[in-house]
Amino acid sequence: MPTWRFDAIGTLWEIETGDPLGSGERTRVAEIIEGFDRTWSRFRADSLVTQLAGEGGSASVPADADAMLSAYREMFAATRGAVNPLIGESLSTLGYDADYSLRAGEPVPAPAAWDSILTWDEEQLALASATLIDVGALGKGRLVDLVAAALADVDLVVDAGGDILVRGETRIGLEHPFDPSKAIGVATIRDQALCASATNRRAWGDGLHHVLDARTGIPVRTWAATWAFAADAMHADAVATALFFDGGPELADHWGVEWVRMSTDGVAQRSANAPVELFTAGGTTRVRRG
Amino acid sequence: MITQAVSPSVRKSAAVVGVAGLLVLAGCSGAADAEDAPTGDSGASDATASDSGSESSGSGASGEYADGTYTADGSYQTPETVEQISVTLTLEGGVVTDVEITGDPQARETEQYQGQFIDGIDEEVVGVALDDLDVSRVAGSSLTSGGFNAAVEDIKGQAAG
Repeated sequence: MPTWRFDAIGTLWEIETGDPLGSGERTRVAEIIEGFDRTWSRFRADSLVTQLAGEGGSASVPADADAMLSAYREMFAATRGAVNPLIGESLSTLGYDADYSLRAGEPVPAPAAWDSILTWDEEQLALASATLIDVGALGKGRLVDLVAAALADVDLVVDAGGDILVRGETRIGLEHPFDPSKAIGVATIRDQALCASATNRRAWGDGLHHVLDARTGIPVRTWAATWAFAADAMHADAVATALFFDGGPELADHWGVEWVRMSTDGVAQRSANAPVELFTAGGTTRVRRG
Repeated sequence: MITQAVSPSVRKSAAVVGVAGLLVLAGCSGAADAEDAPTGDSGASDATASDSGSESSGSGASGEYADGTYTADGSYQTPETVEQISVTLTLEGGVVTDVEITGDPQARETEQYQGQFIDGIDEEVVGVALDDLDVSRVAGSSLTSGGFNAAVEDIKGQAAG
């Protein structure tokens, strides 16, 4: 199928459609991505979240704020505070900042009482103090949903660097987090989203990568890669993030999201109905927990 | 929970720190009790003392602690989890006579979670070459942009120089 490839929001996009996309559709996609990025990107000096990070303040509520921040509220509760939309400062401190300084300072936790600092209603989004919003746990998935919704209702694949929404059926390899030439399994998905997250690429030093525990500001170490299957990419993306923490499987169950995750010592877990064939050592191994 | 980064000994020492804090508190209360003779006029306080497992919180400003067995749940954080521990103290004559810490907290909590929402068996992964698979695309960590990659290369160069 014809594939349109481009770089946006710091990753490679591929949109696969039966017929090549016309210039009108491409323009529409570009506008959607630009609008989202201008609002939510903490890597842009002119974005809303960067402006609010200066001294706090308020703005007209962005279109996606309620959907995303409401999901964050559930993620925060399910993971007992490990996932937090005010984690921007924690990421910047570790070196994952707008300049990609990649110089790690002492880890800082995100504000635990985030929802008394960041508030929103039908009209306004307000930040009570200068702090940096980061919707990285699900923002890319949300954008994939927006892009897919803007295209004609035909079979397609929208793939934003591992956040994938499929109309039709596709077989997708689950990349081995320690060897990109291999897969740990194959997923067959139909009319749903598969979002993957792993700690191997957005990494810049010993134990330094982009998945942080908001309670400590320290990168996670137990899980190396996660995959989640949902009706929409935002919820798949959100669960893929939550699965790095205790409480992730519970949230997935609550949302009806299936999943697979692989630990840093090479052991996979999955939900009961994940549409996946896993490649595992002959038979199964029960690993003692705790 | 499969945890190799946080070793059992590290977790234990964290738990011990928490318990040490509790013991210090208990010690203080014992000292206060020894100084002030209990008034002994409260039937309610007797009932509490014999009620094993009851909460000791909100025991008033007097600083007195009735004899009995008290259980409290505490928590502390590791990078990926919040650990739960349960500590039971027995007070006799204002002195701590017994302390019991329940179980391996990490195992307890994760069994609870995982038993319910995970499909039972942990499986050891074997990678298969993508070339040998019939797949149309791959899902893993996001490919990074040129800017990020350039920054990583820059850091590597500086570190090497």
